[in-house]
Amino acid sequence: MPGETAASRNLASCHLCCKLAPTDQHHCPRCGAAMHSRKSDSIQRTLALLITACVLYIPANLYPIMFTDQLGSSEASTILGGVVLLIKLGSIPVALVIFIFSVMVPLGKLMAMFYLVWTVEKHSPLGPRQRTVMYHVTEFVGKWSMVDVFVVAILAALVHLGGLLVIRPGIAALSFAGVVIVTMIAAESFDSRLIWDQMEDTDSDNTTS
Amino acid sequence: MSGDIACQGCDLLVNVGALRDGESASCPRCGSPLTRLRADAYSRVLAYGSAALILLVLANSYSFLSFSASGLESVITLRETPKALWDYGMPEVALLIAAFIIVIPAVILVLLVTLCIPLHYGRYRPWLVPVAKGIFLGQGWAMVEVFIIGVIVSLVKIASMATVVLGISFWAYAAFTICFTLALASLDRYQCWERIEQLGATANAR
Repeated sequence: MPGETAASRNLASCHLCCKLAPTDQHHCPRCGAAMHSRKSDSIQRTLALLITACVLYIPANLYPIMFTDQLGSSEASTILGGVVLLIKLGSIPVALVIFIFSVMVPLGKLMAMFYLVWTVEKHSPLGPRQRTVMYHVTEFVGKWSMVDVFVVAILAALVHLGGLLVIRPGIAALSFAGVVIVTMIAAESFDSRLIWDQMEDTDSDNTTS
Repeated sequence: MSGDIACQGCDLLVNVGALRDGESASCPRCGSPLTRLRADAYSRVLAYGSAALILLVLANSYSFLSFSASGLESVITLRETPKALWDYGMPEVALLIAAFIIVIPAVILVLLVTLCIPLHYGRYRPWLVPVAKGIFLGQGWAMVEVFIIGVIVSLVKIASMATVVLGISFWAYAAFTICFTLALASLDRYQCWERIEQLGATANAR
């Protein structure tokens, strides 16, 4: 019986322990977690969190993430400014790492999640399998954007040599940490099974394994 | 019922049947991994997990990094890394970082060891269920490997400004990252819960 889903047999699987139980049960018989056939209000929650992340992303890029006080003069640097500075100094690999984790990953993640939410109940150029892979990748890379926040924390803790050289954190570190955490929760509240649900009625013939 | 898994990615019911040692199953429709059977899974988790615990204690006992220029020097320990953000008026970020790199990983490790000792010896304990729930809820929020990359990036950024020395604690934390990741990777969600249920059923029957 290929192509049969848990929902079509009135079963739900526990998100925490994978136990299959009838959909009328509110709590998992094995671990006691709340049971849902699909994550509740998945699309609304994900969309709300994505919009929050977009709002937080603006101050995260406009305000400085770090101040470098050197011999009496203070220099502020934003996320992008830091990348430009590193390229000028010639440290291309570090510039690339910061650019990938702090610019490409959060932006790509936001766009991917918006795309998934937008196409979830439609047919799209990307098949459901590609979209599920896209979701898994988005879920996996999420926490890697914290690299820049960790860098600021380490530098602020380590570099305080009196009047000679001091590094201080900027307010963007707070909003950027917010972006990372909110997008992580957004990815967690999205339910990739919804991508497959509307496929059930249209094509159940080409999913045989 | 036994052997049927609902894919968490697309909800397809898959009968994985009896897996042999080392075999893994993934969903034929969406490709998401389902489960992997390893006969020695729990002794692996115990070995990596206890090694990681010892390394985490070491990482907290010595100096982490030191930075010096023109006769001035500053040394930090692992615990002082988030503290600077607290002092600069960002207690929220400081607490989050402390949770992601020290507190959550430490709690998960203690839970892993308490879970896998009875699972390894085949004994049922009433606290197996809450302990396993704690592990699977918390594991997505441990960011030890991200932190290590953050340390390396920081080092390269300031290497030209002054002399940076890596302390014993840094190497302990790097080794801890490897053991922690391997311990979590050795624990299969589906197999672990099946084992807990099976042990619970035999304990009740007795």
